[in-house]
Amino acid sequence: MTGKKKPLTCAGISILFFTFFLFAALIENTFAAEAAPDCGIHESSCTKTIGNYSVELDIHPKPVAAMQDLTFRVSVTGGAISQTPYIDLGMPGMHMGPNRVDLKPSSTTMTFEGQGVIVRCPSGKRIWRATVTLPSIGNVDFTFDVVY
Amino acid sequence: MTGITVGFGHCIGMCGPIVISLSLQLKGRPSFWPHLLYNTGRTCTYGILGALVGGMASFTRFAEHVGGLQKGVMVATGIMIMVMGLAMTGWISTSVIFRAAPPVGTFITRVYKQLLPKKNQPYMYLPLGLVLGLLPCGPVYTALLAAARTGMEAGNTLSGMLAGTGLMICFGLGTIPALFLVSRLTDLRWLRYRERVYQIGAALMMVVGAYFIWKGLRF
Repeated sequence: MTGKKKPLTCAGISILFFTFFLFAALIENTFAAEAAPDCGIHESSCTKTIGNYSVELDIHPKPVAAMQDLTFRVSVTGGAISQTPYIDLGMPGMHMGPNRVDLKPSSTTMTFEGQGVIVRCPSGKRIWRATVTLPSIGNVDFTFDVVY
Repeated sequence: MTGITVGFGHCIGMCGPIVISLSLQLKGRPSFWPHLLYNTGRTCTYGILGALVGGMASFTRFAEHVGGLQKGVMVATGIMIMVMGLAMTGWISTSVIFRAAPPVGTFITRVYKQLLPKKNQPYMYLPLGLVLGLLPCGPVYTALLAAARTGMEAGNTLSGMLAGTGLMICFGLGTIPALFLVSRLTDLRWLRYRERVYQIGAALMMVVGAYFIWKGLRF
């Protein structure tokens, strides 16, 4: 192999290994430890705070499973809010595309409900994150595992 | 837009190995048309799925029925990539590989043979893309959720189907640039002494194939 041809072969092998390295990183992501859940959503609702507001998230039916219709309920205490909250569903560390649950006021004051679906990830990872946003106030994350 | 961001963020990692395997399989033949046909097939499948989900106005009803099929597609994809890799190494001749195939797989082995370097018919990449569009994929599910929602908002079933089809085709088109880039990067026609690279690639393809089979069985 002459000096002129060597760089081309090295470049070819480098391209291949770089691309398979991307895949290896994805495999490693599959086996790597997932983000720790901080919400036992299968047993009960979860509550967190945004400033002076207390935000309670609940999901039914339980246990919370992927690929089925779910009812999301958010209750807010600590003050009035001018806009309806919403929930963005996603997986920590993996871009799954936008999945927003639009909430509507329910019969109970300062409680909002909406329908949504948590999709299944073929990687086998089961940790999901629901980001509840109170427009113009802030947002808070609830991290939990789902049943596949 | 979602297709583009998901394409560069997610598809390169998950579908990149499939695209690379198909590129290596071409062994120096022009790759533009095969990959265009593959991506067209994939996008068509997304459109069909969008029509189904948009017409039903429900993602979960659709998901109930396709889980088993998608599992099968994933396992079959893994087997296909392993066979391609094995055939490319030349360690075992293709006649031996396919002699060992079960009789019920005659049609399938005939299809596989069309993809091997000896025959390698570019038009086979279209049906291949149609089938591989069924691979289970989180971002595709998310896009189908959106298609189901547009179906719910549509006035009737036909409108729902059209809206779902349009949305999913747009999503599919968005994922093409990323995968096309991968295919161009692995088009090694310009490279001398490609054979060594193909051998390494073939060995990696067998690992990739085994990984897909394992994921499919766990799905």
